[in-house]
Amino acid sequence: MAWNDKLPVSYLLFTPKGRINRFTYWSTSVFIWPSFYVLFNLLGWLSPSATWLIYPPLFWALYCTATKRLHDGNRSAHWLWMLFLPIAGPLVIIFLLGFMKGTFQGNRFGPNPDAAPDYFKNPDAEKIPNLKSEERIVNDVTQLNPVLVSKVAAPQTIEELRDIIRTTDKFICIGGGRFSMGGQTASPNALHIDMRKLDKVIAFSPGERTIKVQAGIRWCDIQKHVDAHDLSIKVMQTYANFTVGGSLSVNCHGRYIGLGPVILSVRSLDAILANGDLVHASPTENPDIFFACVGCYNAIAVIAQVELDLEANVAVRRSHVKMRRDTYKQYFFSKVRENKDVVFHNGDIYPPLYRNMRAVIWIRTVEKPTVKTRLMPLAAAYPLERYFIGAFSKSAFGKWRREYLIDPLVFAVKRIHYRNYEAGYDVLELEPESRKQCTYVLQEYFVAVEKFDAFSTLMAEIFQRHKVNVINVSIRHAKADSGSLLAWAKEEVFAFVVWYKQGTADADKGAVAVWTRELIDAALSQGGSYYLPYQPHATAEQFHRAYPRAKQLFALKKKLDPSFKFRNVLWDTYYKAD
Amino acid sequence: MKRLYALILASLALAAGIALIQTRSPTTFAVGQGRVLPAEWLQPNPNPATPKADIRPADQTFLTFPEWFLVFSPEEQALAFQNRTSTAFPFMAHVAQFWQSYRIVNDQIKDAFPVNASYHVMICVIGVSTTVEYALKATYEALVGRLTDTGAPITAEDRYNAEYMADYVAFIKDHPWYEFDYSTRFKSLWTSTPLVGGSFMRKMERRYFLTTELIAKLLYAKLIGFGTHQAYDRPLPTTAVVLVKDSLVHLPRYDRFAQAAGTLAARGEAFKEIAGNTSAILLSVLVPAYGPTAFEDSRTLFTQPLASDPTRKRVVLAAPVPFLDRLLVRLGQANLPVEHVFDY
Repeated sequence: MAWNDKLPVSYLLFTPKGRINRFTYWSTSVFIWPSFYVLFNLLGWLSPSATWLIYPPLFWALYCTATKRLHDGNRSAHWLWMLFLPIAGPLVIIFLLGFMKGTFQGNRFGPNPDAAPDYFKNPDAEKIPNLKSEERIVNDVTQLNPVLVSKVAAPQTIEELRDIIRTTDKFICIGGGRFSMGGQTASPNALHIDMRKLDKVIAFSPGERTIKVQAGIRWCDIQKHVDAHDLSIKVMQTYANFTVGGSLSVNCHGRYIGLGPVILSVRSLDAILANGDLVHASPTENPDIFFACVGCYNAIAVIAQVELDLEANVAVRRSHVKMRRDTYKQYFFSKVRENKDVVFHNGDIYPPLYRNMRAVIWIRTVEKPTVKTRLMPLAAAYPLERYFIGAFSKSAFGKWRREYLIDPLVFAVKRIHYRNYEAGYDVLELEPESRKQCTYVLQEYFVAVEKFDAFSTLMAEIFQRHKVNVINVSIRHAKADSGSLLAWAKEEVFAFVVWYKQGTADADKGAVAVWTRELIDAALSQGGSYYLPYQPHATAEQFHRAYPRAKQLFALKKKLDPSFKFRNVLWDTYYKAD
Repeated sequence: MKRLYALILASLALAAGIALIQTRSPTTFAVGQGRVLPAEWLQPNPNPATPKADIRPADQTFLTFPEWFLVFSPEEQALAFQNRTSTAFPFMAHVAQFWQSYRIVNDQIKDAFPVNASYHVMICVIGVSTTVEYALKATYEALVGRLTDTGAPITAEDRYNAEYMADYVAFIKDHPWYEFDYSTRFKSLWTSTPLVGGSFMRKMERRYFLTTELIAKLLYAKLIGFGTHQAYDRPLPTTAVVLVKDSLVHLPRYDRFAQAAGTLAARGEAFKEIAGNTSAILLSVLVPAYGPTAFEDSRTLFTQPLASDPTRKRVVLAAPVPFLDRLLVRLGQANLPVEHVFDY
């Protein structure tokens, strides 16, 4: 919630401090003028001279709101003297107050009321009132998975982190941004290590196009660092809030064409084993450690430092085409897969019929960007996004509106911006207003590219039968993994990112578990798999069928982490049971 | 922000309620619903004796009412400003009268004649711009003018305003308003009106107000003048009248037509065609507040109390051209001044 949401309306109307944007100014005007009209008439009926009472508050409110609005453009209230100049003065003031955009950055009157100072962050682990021990509640972005941990440590150096791991006799769970959705960052009564203070850039070589960072750094921080050199991250997910360590542990992917899991852009990493040893690993050096770290959810080690590949930060232009789902595969292979100019691509399948799709591609261009900033500007709130997501999830009519009214309008707008911009979204835009009754959750499934039609048909049937409130199914493409023991892309795959709305009551969670297991079976029947950063509804049997090399990982874990020090909900569920 | 939105909704709802209460005291009183004139009064003249160049469409007598209301309104202002400042003038009542009377006159012709789209566009343009002007003036006078108001026009600037309004009315009776010489007015406001005198705040405030009005109108008149020359032809300065004795006479058009027609009627002349028309012609009469509103040989469409002078009201009526002489004579005998005859 933005700071100005918490202030009383009287502060907005009757103090000349701070800044307000155009929308707030118009809103206050729509309040002030009708109020004046009402009071003027009511008091006028009593006695015409009684109307004098409302002039002082009226003029003061007009002065205060005008001053705040002038501040927004980095102007002082002295500009109001302009009103004494006939004709031009009032016109200039009306323009400045009602139409002129505020300064994008903070100015001498305060921060931009529309902009967030930083990407959305999950709060620190929650203190328990009146408890003297160091126990804390660690939760993830969905707030559905609270876990009580014995203590939270936030090391600031790699040495400190090694010491904590070596000396602790408790269990350890690791958290970064905590944007996974199934308790992958916590384990009951374990020591939780919050990695977010380990956020330094260790080495950066624009010529070699590599960067070496501590694992607690966020992708958005790297973007800020490399953008000035016209460089961009080679593979990351769409949202830049996550930490590098977290993204590597889940082996994330984005919407890139010709790439796939993030492991393909990792040159090397330094991992800390359960005994505190720091091991340098790459696909060629200590490959067994490397492939048991990336995508393996801290099973055997904590990723501490990473060296990543970078790419040119090209401008990309959006284009789109709507089609039937059964023609998408053909379209993808003929138009997208081999097109070297396509940087990002995804296809959105429209619920509730799952019959039509919209393919969106971002093509390399030399045209001038249509936005002013090179990086994604951060908004303090996303009321429009929140409204649309709410509308799409409310009813079949909402979904129909999206497919036939909203999306055609949204995509009619020409969009050109930089690669860093398109990979810099803020999770805040997806956040619901409240999670009291329901929340938005993700799941993801993978099948070999030739199984697209078969799996998507099975999926649609399951969603329809269970009346799942799916908001969107986004299709991504990934090349085969280079060897992670928990590789979700055992071959070239399509990823099905399912975004749905679910109730937060226990019965709702149970219902989700039922159709999730059905969907996992559907993916397995096509030789595919499902993604692990989400709710761990899969049975142990499903887990091992989807990830056949998990046995190998578990064997390595027994060797390197014999006391089962590294834990989280995932290993508590599948490793313990093993 | 949620609390602000709740407050906005509440204030808008209350404002709508107040506005609803205010519509309970109307400013224009229609005599009937929809068309009140008999259909035979609205028949076109099949064989006009008037030369073709002098014929004007029959529905124009009704359509010119809104335009003329924008002469009556400053006329009322010029009269009112003799005795009190413009600050207390009921501008919004005039806005309401404009639109309400436009609706009533249009009700008379909309089924009888083809729609004259370009005339309606013109009425809407002048209506909207007057509405904006009057609303701005009313708001300004309520917010700022009221703070310095002296009641009676005691400052040189308030008297200047009354003078300027009277000159303006005299001018627009025979000329398009946008040809009024605003720039000379603006210069004389600043050169020949004394800067010193009592009520200094009022003087300065009025100077600001008049300067704004004169410059804004100067610019707007240039714009409209340019647009009008592009879109409409220059109007004829006379109205052709065929008398029953079959002679064709050319009377002055617009404001002086009423007097000229009245003189002819008093001499015993009767009208056969006016601008080629035999159908109903519209006229307005100023009547004491409790005076008669219905007259023989005519139908009254509506009455409007003069917003600035509660002792009088305007009665707007229509009569077929052949009845006009009798009606004018009767009004003359009753000593009721004809404000205007809308000579197409």
